[in-house]
Amino acid sequence: MSIPFQELLEFDVATLSGKLRARDISPVDLTEAYLSRIEQTDGSLRAYITVTDTLARKGAKKAESELAAGKWRGPFHGVPIALKDLVYTKGLRTTGGSKILADFKPDHDATVWTRLKRAGAVLLGKLNLHEFAYGITSSNPHWGIVRNPYALDRIPGGSSGGAAAAIVARSAAATIGTDTGGSIRIPAALCGCVGLKPTWSRVSRYGVLPLAYTLDHVGPITRTVRDAAMMLQIIAGADRNDSTSSRERVPDFSAGLDGQISRMRIGVIRELNDGLSDDVARSFNAALDTLRSLGATVDHVTIPSLPLTGVMNGIITWAEALEIHEDWMRTRPQDYGDDVRRILEIGMMTTATSYIRAQRARARTLAESIAVLADRDVLVAPASAIVAPKIGATQILEAREDRVDVVAAILRFTQPFNSTGQPAIAIPTGLSPDGLPIAMQVIGRPFGEPEVIRVAAAYERARGALAPPPEIA
Amino acid sequence: MPLVTGETVKQVMRDLYGYEISEADADAIAHSAGAMLTLAGHLRAIGLAGIEPPFGYPVLLAEAALVVKARS
Repeated sequence: MSIPFQELLEFDVATLSGKLRARDISPVDLTEAYLSRIEQTDGSLRAYITVTDTLARKGAKKAESELAAGKWRGPFHGVPIALKDLVYTKGLRTTGGSKILADFKPDHDATVWTRLKRAGAVLLGKLNLHEFAYGITSSNPHWGIVRNPYALDRIPGGSSGGAAAAIVARSAAATIGTDTGGSIRIPAALCGCVGLKPTWSRVSRYGVLPLAYTLDHVGPITRTVRDAAMMLQIIAGADRNDSTSSRERVPDFSAGLDGQISRMRIGVIRELNDGLSDDVARSFNAALDTLRSLGATVDHVTIPSLPLTGVMNGIITWAEALEIHEDWMRTRPQDYGDDVRRILEIGMMTTATSYIRAQRARARTLAESIAVLADRDVLVAPASAIVAPKIGATQILEAREDRVDVVAAILRFTQPFNSTGQPAIAIPTGLSPDGLPIAMQVIGRPFGEPEVIRVAAAYERARGALAPPPEIA
Repeated sequence: MPLVTGETVKQVMRDLYGYEISEADADAIAHSAGAMLTLAGHLRAIGLAGIEPPFGYPVLLAEAALVVKARS
Protein backbone atom coordinates (compact mmCIF):
# COMPACT_ATOMS: atom_id res chain seq x y z
CA MET A 1 0.00 0.00 0.00
CA SER A 2 1.44 3.36 -0.95
CA ILE A 3 2.08 6.01 1.71
CA PRO A 4 0.15 9.29 1.29
CA PHE A 5 2.22 12.17 -0.13
CA GLN A 6 1.76 14.26 3.01
CA GLU A 7 3.24 11.48 5.13
CA LEU A 8 6.19 10.99 2.78
CA LEU A 9 7.11 14.65 3.21
CA GLU A 10 7.39 14.29 6.98
CA PHE A 11 10.29 11.81 6.87
CA ASP A 12 13.79 13.15 7.44
CA VAL A 13 16.59 11.86 5.20
CA ALA A 14 17.72 9.30 7.77
CA THR A 15 14.23 7.76 7.83
CA LEU A 16 13.73 8.06 4.08
CA SER A 17 17.02 6.35 3.46
CA GLY A 18 16.02 3.22 5.36
CA LYS A 19 12.60 3.08 3.71
CA LEU A 20 14.01 3.62 0.23
CA ARG A 21 16.63 0.94 0.68
CA ALA A 22 14.03 -1.48 2.04
CA ARG A 23 11.79 -0.49 -0.90
CA ASP A 24 9.00 0.48 1.49
CA ILE A 25 8.70 3.67 -0.51
CA SER A 26 9.46 4.45 -4.13
CA PRO A 27 11.81 7.26 -5.21
CA VAL A 28 9.30 8.01 -7.98
CA ASP A 29 6.42 8.51 -5.51
CA LEU A 30 8.67 10.47 -3.20
CA THR A 31 9.79 12.80 -5.97
CA GLU A 32 6.20 13.31 -7.12
CA ALA A 33 5.25 14.19 -3.54
CA TYR A 34 7.96 16.85 -3.41
CA LEU A 35 7.16 18.26 -6.86
CA SER A 36 3.54 18.51 -5.83
CA ARG A 37 4.53 20.26 -2.60
CA ILE A 38 6.68 22.75 -4.51
CA GLU A 39 3.72 23.52 -6.74
CA GLN A 40 1.51 23.97 -3.69
CA THR A 41 3.83 26.25 -1.70
CA ASP A 42 6.19 28.06 -4.01
CA GLY A 43 3.74 30.65 -5.27
CA SER A 44 3.89 32.04 -1.72
CA LEU A 45 7.43 31.14 -0.66
CA ARG A 46 9.46 31.77 -3.84
CA ALA A 47 12.06 29.33 -2.54
CA TYR A 48 12.89 28.05 -6.03
CA ILE A 49 14.28 29.83 -9.08
CA THR A 50 14.19 26.73 -11.28
CA VAL A 51 12.28 23.51 -10.70
CA THR A 52 13.97 20.67 -12.59
CA ASP A 53 10.91 18.43 -12.71
CA THR A 54 11.87 16.48 -15.85
CA LEU A 55 15.36 15.82 -14.54
CA ALA A 56 13.98 14.91 -11.11
CA ARG A 57 11.57 12.34 -12.56
CA LYS A 58 14.35 10.86 -14.66
CA GLY A 59 16.65 10.66 -11.63
CA ALA A 60 13.91 9.09 -9.52
CA LYS A 61 13.24 6.39 -12.13
CA LYS A 62 16.93 5.61 -12.35
CA ALA A 63 17.14 5.35 -8.56
CA GLU A 64 14.11 3.10 -8.50
CA SER A 65 15.55 0.67 -11.01
CA GLU A 66 18.93 0.61 -9.27
CA LEU A 67 17.34 0.00 -5.87
CA ALA A 68 15.18 -2.74 -7.38
CA ALA A 69 18.36 -4.35 -8.70
CA GLY A 70 19.91 -4.21 -5.24
CA LYS A 71 22.43 -1.49 -6.11
CA TRP A 72 22.40 0.90 -3.16
CA ARG A 73 24.54 4.02 -3.54
CA GLY A 74 24.21 5.17 0.06
CA PRO A 75 21.87 7.15 2.30
CA PHE A 76 20.99 9.78 -0.32
CA HIS A 77 20.04 7.26 -2.99
CA GLY A 78 16.64 8.37 -4.28
CA VAL A 79 16.41 11.33 -1.89
CA PRO A 80 15.04 14.56 -3.46
CA ILE A 81 17.32 17.50 -2.74
CA ALA A 82 17.82 21.05 -4.03
CA LEU A 83 20.84 23.31 -4.52
CA LYS A 84 21.30 27.01 -3.91
CA ASP A 85 21.30 28.56 -7.36
CA LEU A 86 24.97 29.41 -7.32
CA VAL A 87 26.04 25.77 -7.37
CA TYR A 88 26.96 24.91 -10.95
CA THR A 89 24.83 22.29 -12.69
CA LYS A 90 26.05 21.37 -16.15
CA GLY A 91 23.66 22.55 -18.85
CA LEU A 92 21.14 23.80 -16.27
CA ARG A 93 20.53 27.48 -15.62
CA THR A 94 22.58 28.76 -12.68
CA THR A 95 21.64 32.38 -12.03
CA GLY A 96 23.35 33.28 -8.77
CA GLY A 97 20.02 34.97 -8.07
CA SER A 98 20.99 37.66 -10.56
CA LYS A 99 19.72 39.22 -13.76
CA ILE A 100 23.29 39.22 -15.07
CA LEU A 101 23.49 35.41 -15.08
CA ALA A 102 19.82 34.84 -15.91
CA ASP A 103 20.71 32.65 -18.91
CA PHE A 104 24.01 31.19 -17.70
CA LYS A 105 24.35 27.44 -18.19
CA PRO A 106 27.63 26.11 -16.78
CA ASP A 107 29.67 23.61 -18.79
CA HIS A 108 30.51 21.58 -15.70
CA ASP A 109 29.03 20.50 -12.38
CA ALA A 110 30.20 21.77 -9.01
CA THR A 111 32.03 19.09 -7.06
CA VAL A 112 29.32 19.08 -4.36
CA TRP A 113 26.69 18.25 -6.98
CA THR A 114 28.96 15.68 -8.67
CA ARG A 115 29.31 13.91 -5.31
CA LEU A 116 25.62 14.09 -4.42
CA LYS A 117 24.63 12.90 -7.89
CA ARG A 118 27.05 9.99 -7.61
CA ALA A 119 25.42 9.18 -4.26
CA GLY A 120 22.08 8.87 -6.02
CA ALA A 121 20.44 12.14 -4.92
CA VAL A 122 17.56 13.41 -7.07
CA LEU A 123 17.70 17.11 -8.01
CA LEU A 124 14.38 18.93 -7.53
CA GLY A 125 15.71 22.31 -8.55
CA LYS A 126 17.77 25.41 -7.88
CA LEU A 127 16.98 27.56 -4.89
CA ASN A 128 16.44 31.29 -4.60
CA LEU A 129 18.95 33.41 -2.70
CA HIS A 130 20.02 36.94 -2.01
CA GLU A 131 21.40 38.28 -5.30
CA PHE A 132 24.93 36.89 -5.78
CA ALA A 133 24.76 35.72 -2.12
CA TYR A 134 25.66 39.27 -1.11
CA GLY A 135 23.14 39.96 1.66
CA ILE A 136 21.07 38.34 4.37
CA THR A 137 17.43 39.05 3.47
CA SER A 138 16.88 36.95 0.32
CA SER A 139 14.55 39.72 -0.88
CA ASN A 140 15.59 39.15 -4.44
CA PRO A 141 14.59 41.89 -6.91
CA HIS A 142 14.95 39.60 -9.93
CA TRP A 143 13.52 36.25 -8.84
CA GLY A 144 11.09 37.16 -6.08
CA ILE A 145 11.15 37.80 -2.37
CA VAL A 146 11.74 34.58 -0.43
CA ARG A 147 9.40 34.36 2.54
CA ASN A 148 9.74 32.74 5.95
CA PRO A 149 7.50 29.66 6.28
CA TYR A 150 6.73 30.59 9.91
CA ALA A 151 5.46 34.06 8.91
CA LEU A 152 5.13 35.03 5.27
CA ASP A 153 5.61 38.74 6.01
CA ARG A 154 9.11 38.05 7.42
CA ILE A 155 12.47 37.36 5.83
CA PRO A 156 13.85 33.82 5.84
CA GLY A 157 17.37 35.18 6.32
CA GLY A 158 20.07 34.75 3.73
CA SER A 159 21.75 34.48 1.58
CA SER A 160 20.61 30.82 1.38
CA GLY A 161 17.02 31.85 2.14
CA GLY A 162 15.41 29.55 -0.42
CA ALA A 163 17.31 26.57 0.97
CA ALA A 164 16.08 27.03 4.53
CA ALA A 165 12.55 27.96 3.47
CA ALA A 166 12.33 24.81 1.33
CA ILE A 167 13.47 22.59 4.19
CA VAL A 168 10.95 23.99 6.65
CA ALA A 169 8.11 24.08 4.11
CA ARG A 170 8.84 20.44 3.22
CA SER A 171 9.57 21.29 -0.41
CA ALA A 172 13.00 19.59 -0.32
CA ALA A 173 14.35 16.79 1.86
CA ALA A 174 17.82 18.37 2.13
CA THR A 175 19.59 21.33 0.55
CA ILE A 176 23.00 22.79 -0.08
CA GLY A 177 23.83 26.37 0.91
CA THR A 178 26.90 28.57 1.10
CA ASP A 179 28.17 30.79 3.90
CA THR A 180 30.50 33.82 3.64
CA GLY A 181 29.28 35.77 6.68
CA GLY A 182 26.53 33.49 7.95
CA SER A 183 24.52 32.57 4.86
CA ILE A 184 23.94 28.95 5.90
CA ARG A 185 23.43 29.57 9.62
CA ILE A 186 21.33 32.75 9.44
CA PRO A 187 18.51 31.32 7.30
CA ALA A 188 18.61 28.06 9.23
CA ALA A 189 18.26 30.07 12.46
CA LEU A 190 15.48 32.36 11.26
CA CYS A 191 13.49 29.56 9.57
CA GLY A 192 13.92 26.91 12.28
CA CYS A 193 16.11 24.21 10.73
CA VAL A 194 19.72 23.02 10.92
CA GLY A 195 22.56 24.72 9.03
CA LEU A 196 26.11 23.36 9.17
CA LYS A 197 29.03 25.48 8.04
CA PRO A 198 31.99 23.13 7.98
CA THR A 199 35.60 24.15 8.52
CA TRP A 200 36.89 26.31 5.64
CA SER A 201 38.34 23.98 2.97
CA ARG A 202 36.53 20.90 4.30
CA VAL A 203 34.15 21.02 1.31
CA SER A 204 35.27 21.84 -2.22
CA ARG A 205 34.24 25.22 -3.62
CA TYR A 206 34.88 24.11 -7.21
CA GLY A 207 31.97 25.14 -9.40
CA VAL A 208 30.37 27.32 -6.75
CA LEU A 209 29.96 30.94 -7.79
CA PRO A 210 32.21 32.80 -5.34
CA LEU A 211 31.31 35.79 -3.20
CA ALA A 212 34.64 36.04 -1.34
CA TYR A 213 37.20 33.33 -2.06
CA THR A 214 38.82 33.21 1.36
CA LEU A 215 35.61 33.31 3.38
CA ASP A 216 33.21 31.14 1.32
CA HIS A 217 32.07 27.82 2.76
CA VAL A 218 29.70 25.20 1.30
CA GLY A 219 27.49 23.08 3.56
CA PRO A 220 24.15 21.40 4.26
CA ILE A 221 20.86 22.91 5.39
CA THR A 222 18.62 20.15 6.69
CA ARG A 223 15.82 19.21 9.08
CA THR A 224 18.01 17.46 11.61
CA VAL A 225 21.58 17.28 12.80
CA ARG A 226 21.73 13.67 11.63
CA ASP A 227 20.75 14.67 8.10
CA ALA A 228 23.40 17.40 8.10
CA ALA A 229 26.07 14.91 9.22
CA MET A 230 25.03 12.45 6.53
CA MET A 231 25.08 15.09 3.81
CA LEU A 232 28.46 16.45 4.93
CA GLN A 233 29.83 12.90 4.72
CA ILE A 234 29.11 12.86 1.01
CA ILE A 235 30.39 16.32 0.08
CA ALA A 236 33.47 16.59 2.35
CA GLY A 237 37.03 15.80 1.35
CA ALA A 238 39.87 16.81 -0.92
CA ASP A 239 39.09 17.74 -4.51
CA ARG A 240 41.78 17.95 -7.15
CA ASN A 241 39.81 20.75 -8.83
CA ASP A 242 39.98 22.96 -5.73
CA SER A 243 43.57 23.57 -4.68
CA THR A 244 42.39 25.01 -1.36
CA SER A 245 40.34 21.95 -0.40
CA SER A 246 41.78 20.23 2.65
CA ARG A 247 43.55 16.87 2.61
CA GLU A 248 42.63 16.42 6.26
CA ARG A 249 41.18 12.97 6.93
CA VAL A 250 37.39 12.88 6.66
CA PRO A 251 36.04 11.27 9.83
CA ASP A 252 32.71 9.49 10.27
CA PHE A 253 30.52 12.51 11.01
CA SER A 254 27.66 10.30 12.21
CA ALA A 255 29.76 8.39 14.74
CA GLY A 256 28.93 10.64 17.69
CA LEU A 257 25.30 11.32 16.83
CA ASP A 258 23.94 9.11 19.58
CA GLY A 259 26.71 9.87 22.06
CA GLN A 260 26.35 11.45 25.47
CA ILE A 261 27.87 14.82 26.33
CA SER A 262 28.15 14.28 30.06
CA ARG A 263 31.90 14.79 30.15
CA MET A 264 32.05 17.56 27.61
CA ARG A 265 33.13 21.11 28.36
CA ILE A 266 31.29 23.94 26.67
CA GLY A 267 32.34 27.60 26.61
CA VAL A 268 29.84 30.44 26.23
CA ILE A 269 31.41 33.29 24.25
CA ARG A 270 31.05 36.46 26.34
CA GLU A 271 31.46 38.78 23.35
CA LEU A 272 28.37 37.22 21.75
CA ASN A 273 26.21 37.08 24.85
CA ASP A 274 24.95 40.66 24.94
CA GLY A 275 22.57 42.86 22.99
CA LEU A 276 20.11 39.98 22.67
CA SER A 277 16.37 40.51 22.44
CA ASP A 278 14.57 39.25 25.53
CA ASP A 279 13.12 36.29 23.66
CA VAL A 280 16.51 35.24 22.29
CA ALA A 281 18.20 35.66 25.69
CA ARG A 282 15.53 33.51 27.37
CA SER A 283 15.79 30.80 24.74
CA PHE A 284 19.61 30.77 24.78
CA ASN A 285 19.73 30.55 28.58
CA ALA A 286 17.23 27.70 28.51
CA ALA A 287 19.42 25.92 25.96
CA LEU A 288 22.43 26.32 28.27
CA ASP A 289 20.36 24.81 31.10
CA THR A 290 19.54 21.88 28.82
CA LEU A 291 23.23 21.34 28.05
CA ARG A 292 23.98 21.40 31.78
CA SER A 293 21.14 18.96 32.44
CA LEU A 294 22.81 16.59 29.97
CA GLY A 295 25.88 16.66 32.17
CA ALA A 296 28.05 19.10 30.23
CA THR A 297 30.19 21.63 32.07
CA VAL A 298 29.31 25.12 30.88
CA ASP A 299 31.45 28.17 31.59
CA HIS A 300 32.15 31.56 30.03
CA VAL A 301 35.12 32.35 27.81
CA THR A 302 36.44 35.49 26.22
CA ILE A 303 37.83 36.01 22.71
CA PRO A 304 38.97 39.64 22.93
CA SER A 305 39.47 40.39 19.23
CA LEU A 306 36.19 38.77 18.18
CA PRO A 307 34.26 42.08 17.96
CA LEU A 308 36.69 43.20 15.23
CA THR A 309 35.89 40.24 12.99
CA GLY A 310 33.10 42.35 11.50
CA VAL A 311 35.78 44.67 10.14
CA MET A 312 37.89 41.76 8.92
CA ASN A 313 34.96 40.09 7.15
CA GLY A 314 33.66 43.39 5.80
CA ILE A 315 36.93 44.56 4.25
CA ILE A 316 37.83 41.14 2.85
CA THR A 317 34.38 40.61 1.34
CA TRP A 318 34.28 44.12 -0.15
CA ALA A 319 37.64 43.59 -1.87
CA GLU A 320 37.20 40.00 -3.05
CA ALA A 321 33.60 40.46 -4.19
CA LEU A 322 34.48 43.57 -6.18
CA GLU A 323 37.35 41.74 -7.87
CA ILE A 324 34.83 39.10 -8.99
CA HIS A 325 32.22 41.66 -10.10
CA GLU A 326 34.51 44.36 -11.48
CA ASP A 327 33.81 43.80 -15.17
CA TRP A 328 30.05 43.68 -14.66
CA MET A 329 30.18 46.80 -12.48
CA ARG A 330 31.84 48.56 -15.41
CA THR A 331 29.50 47.26 -18.08
CA ARG A 332 26.18 46.43 -16.41
CA PRO A 333 25.85 48.29 -13.09
CA GLN A 334 22.16 48.94 -13.80
CA ASP A 335 21.49 45.18 -13.80
CA TYR A 336 22.25 44.78 -10.09
CA GLY A 337 19.65 45.27 -7.38
CA ASP A 338 20.11 48.53 -5.47
CA ASP A 339 21.49 47.01 -2.28
CA VAL A 340 24.06 44.76 -3.94
CA ARG A 341 25.24 47.50 -6.31
CA ARG A 342 25.63 49.85 -3.34
CA ILE A 343 27.79 47.45 -1.33
CA LEU A 344 29.95 46.75 -4.39
CA GLU A 345 30.35 50.52 -4.79
CA ILE A 346 31.44 50.81 -1.17
CA GLY A 347 33.99 48.11 -1.93
CA MET A 348 35.57 50.37 -4.55
CA MET A 349 36.95 52.42 -1.68
CA THR A 350 38.73 49.49 -0.02
CA THR A 351 42.47 49.98 0.22
CA ALA A 352 45.01 47.23 -0.43
CA THR A 353 46.61 47.86 2.96
CA SER A 354 43.33 47.40 4.82
CA TYR A 355 42.69 44.16 2.93
CA ILE A 356 46.08 42.68 3.82
CA ARG A 357 45.74 43.81 7.42
CA ALA A 358 42.28 42.24 7.68
CA GLN A 359 43.67 38.96 6.34
CA ARG A 360 46.51 39.01 8.85
CA ALA A 361 44.17 39.81 11.74
CA ARG A 362 42.17 36.62 11.17
CA ALA A 363 45.01 34.58 12.64
CA ARG A 364 44.86 36.57 15.87
CA THR A 365 41.17 35.81 16.44
CA LEU A 366 41.64 32.17 15.44
CA ALA A 367 44.53 31.86 17.90
CA GLU A 368 42.40 33.27 20.71
CA SER A 369 39.58 30.91 19.84
CA ILE A 370 41.87 27.86 19.69
CA ALA A 371 43.34 28.89 23.05
CA VAL A 372 39.96 28.82 24.80
CA LEU A 373 39.21 25.50 23.10
CA ALA A 374 42.38 23.97 24.55
CA ASP A 375 40.41 22.88 27.60
CA ARG A 376 36.91 22.92 26.15
CA ASP A 377 35.27 20.74 23.50
CA VAL A 378 33.06 23.32 21.82
CA LEU A 379 31.87 26.91 22.16
CA VAL A 380 28.27 28.13 21.98
CA ALA A 381 26.62 31.44 21.12
CA PRO A 382 23.25 32.66 19.90
CA ALA A 383 22.85 32.54 16.12
CA SER A 384 21.21 35.98 15.99
CA ALA A 385 20.20 38.71 18.46
CA ILE A 386 16.70 38.85 17.02
CA VAL A 387 14.00 36.73 15.42
CA ALA A 388 13.24 37.07 11.70
CA PRO A 389 12.44 40.73 10.98
CA LYS A 390 9.64 41.85 8.70
CA ILE A 391 10.46 42.07 5.00
CA GLY A 392 11.83 45.51 4.22
CA ALA A 393 12.74 46.38 7.84
CA THR A 394 16.20 47.91 8.23
CA GLN A 395 15.85 48.66 11.93
CA ILE A 396 13.67 47.15 14.62
CA LEU A 397 12.57 48.51 17.95
CA GLU A 398 13.46 46.20 20.79
CA ALA A 399 11.64 46.01 24.11
CA ARG A 400 14.29 48.19 25.75
CA GLU A 401 13.45 50.95 23.28
CA ASP A 402 16.77 50.52 21.49
CA ARG A 403 16.74 50.82 17.74
CA VAL A 404 18.69 47.88 16.40
CA ASP A 405 20.18 47.65 12.91
CA VAL A 406 18.84 44.42 11.46
CA VAL A 407 21.96 43.39 9.54
CA ALA A 408 24.30 44.12 12.44
CA ALA A 409 22.03 42.31 14.92
CA ILE A 410 22.32 39.16 12.87
CA LEU A 411 25.74 39.15 11.18
CA ARG A 412 27.61 39.95 14.38
CA PHE A 413 26.97 36.41 15.63
CA THR A 414 27.88 34.43 12.56
CA GLN A 415 30.69 36.20 10.71
CA PRO A 416 33.39 35.65 13.37
CA PHE A 417 33.53 31.99 12.31
CA ASN A 418 33.94 32.87 8.67
CA SER A 419 36.98 34.89 9.63
CA THR A 420 38.35 32.03 11.71
CA GLY A 421 37.07 29.28 9.38
CA GLN A 422 35.93 27.17 12.34
CA PRO A 423 33.02 24.73 11.96
CA ALA A 424 29.73 26.06 13.29
CA ILE A 425 26.22 24.68 13.28
CA ALA A 426 22.97 26.58 13.80
CA ILE A 427 20.29 24.63 15.62
CA PRO A 428 16.84 25.80 16.73
CA THR A 429 16.34 26.34 20.46
CA GLY A 430 12.61 27.02 20.25
CA LEU A 431 9.99 29.49 19.13
CA SER A 432 9.33 33.01 20.40
CA PRO A 433 5.92 33.84 21.90
CA ASP A 434 5.04 35.10 18.39
CA GLY A 435 5.86 31.68 16.99
CA LEU A 436 9.15 32.61 15.31
CA PRO A 437 12.24 30.37 15.39
CA ILE A 438 15.25 31.11 17.62
CA ALA A 439 18.59 29.31 17.36
CA MET A 440 22.04 28.89 18.84
CA GLN A 441 25.37 28.02 17.29
CA VAL A 442 27.77 25.29 18.37
CA ILE A 443 31.32 26.09 17.26
CA GLY A 444 34.29 23.74 17.19
CA ARG A 445 38.02 23.58 16.64
CA PRO A 446 39.18 23.62 13.03
CA PHE A 447 38.15 20.21 11.59
CA GLY A 448 36.25 19.54 14.83
CA GLU A 449 32.91 18.86 13.12
CA PRO A 450 32.46 15.56 15.03
CA GLU A 451 32.34 17.36 18.40
CA VAL A 452 30.03 20.05 17.01
CA ILE A 453 27.68 17.41 15.62
CA ARG A 454 27.76 15.37 18.82
CA VAL A 455 26.77 18.32 21.03
CA ALA A 456 24.14 19.60 18.58
CA ALA A 457 22.60 16.13 18.24
CA ALA A 458 22.44 15.61 22.01
CA TYR A 459 20.81 19.01 22.42
CA GLU A 460 18.36 18.31 19.59
CA ARG A 461 17.25 15.05 21.25
CA ALA A 462 16.73 16.77 24.57
CA ARG A 463 14.90 19.71 23.01
CA GLY A 464 12.34 17.59 21.20
CA ALA A 465 10.39 18.54 18.09
CA LEU A 466 9.66 22.16 17.18
CA ALA A 467 6.07 23.12 16.50
CA PRO A 468 5.67 23.14 12.70
CA PRO A 469 4.95 26.33 10.76
CA PRO A 470 1.38 27.21 9.81
CA GLU A 471 0.08 25.55 6.64
CA ILE A 472 1.25 27.41 3.53
CA ALA A 473 -1.35 27.97 0.85
CA MET B 1 38.63 64.29 9.05
CA PRO B 2 37.03 61.53 6.92
CA LEU B 3 39.37 59.18 5.08
CA VAL B 4 37.05 59.13 2.11
CA THR B 5 34.99 62.00 0.70
CA GLY B 6 32.00 62.01 -1.61
CA GLU B 7 34.16 63.79 -4.16
CA THR B 8 36.69 60.94 -4.10
CA VAL B 9 33.91 58.39 -4.52
CA LYS B 10 32.46 60.23 -7.50
CA GLN B 11 35.87 60.49 -9.14
CA VAL B 12 36.74 56.80 -8.63
CA MET B 13 33.41 55.72 -10.05
CA ARG B 14 33.66 58.07 -13.00
CA ASP B 15 37.30 57.30 -13.84
CA LEU B 16 37.51 53.59 -13.01
CA TYR B 17 33.96 52.37 -13.58
CA GLY B 18 32.59 54.87 -16.08
CA TYR B 19 29.37 55.96 -14.43
CA GLU B 20 28.05 58.83 -12.36
CA ILE B 21 26.17 58.77 -9.08
CA SER B 22 24.44 61.50 -7.13
CA GLU B 23 26.25 63.53 -4.50
CA ALA B 24 23.98 62.14 -1.80
CA ASP B 25 24.82 58.57 -2.80
CA ALA B 26 28.53 59.41 -3.01
CA ASP B 27 28.43 60.93 0.47
CA ALA B 28 26.67 57.86 1.87
CA ILE B 29 29.26 55.56 0.31
CA ALA B 30 32.10 57.74 1.60
CA HIS B 31 30.63 57.61 5.08
CA SER B 32 30.31 53.80 5.12
CA ALA B 33 33.71 53.17 3.57
CA GLY B 34 35.44 55.77 5.74
CA ALA B 35 34.03 54.26 8.92
CA MET B 36 35.18 50.77 7.99
CA LEU B 37 38.64 51.92 6.90
CA THR B 38 39.05 53.76 10.20
CA LEU B 39 38.19 50.56 12.04
CA ALA B 40 40.59 48.60 9.82
CA GLY B 41 43.34 50.89 11.11
CA HIS B 42 42.45 49.72 14.62
CA LEU B 43 43.23 46.12 13.70
CA ARG B 44 46.90 46.85 14.35
CA ALA B 45 46.04 47.30 18.01
CA ILE B 46 45.17 43.61 18.50
CA GLY B 47 48.78 42.65 17.87
CA LEU B 48 49.66 41.59 14.36
CA ALA B 49 53.45 41.56 14.67
CA GLY B 50 54.90 38.46 13.02
CA ILE B 51 51.61 37.38 11.43
CA GLU B 52 51.87 36.70 7.70
CA PRO B 53 48.87 37.08 5.40
CA PRO B 54 47.33 33.61 4.89
CA PHE B 55 48.31 33.11 1.24
CA GLY B 56 50.55 30.06 1.15
CA TYR B 57 52.99 28.97 -1.56
CA PRO B 58 51.43 25.48 -1.71
CA VAL B 59 48.21 27.01 -3.01
CA LEU B 60 50.14 29.03 -5.60
CA LEU B 61 51.89 25.87 -6.79
CA ALA B 62 48.65 23.91 -6.91
CA GLU B 63 46.87 26.65 -8.86
CA ALA B 64 49.73 26.73 -11.36
CA ALA B 65 49.43 22.95 -11.76
CA LEU B 66 45.69 23.28 -12.46
CA VAL B 67 46.39 25.91 -15.11
CA VAL B 68 48.98 23.65 -16.75
CA LYS B 69 46.56 20.70 -16.65
CA ALA B 70 43.76 22.75 -18.20
CA ARG B 71 46.05 23.79 -21.08
CA SER B 72 47.29 20.28 -21.86
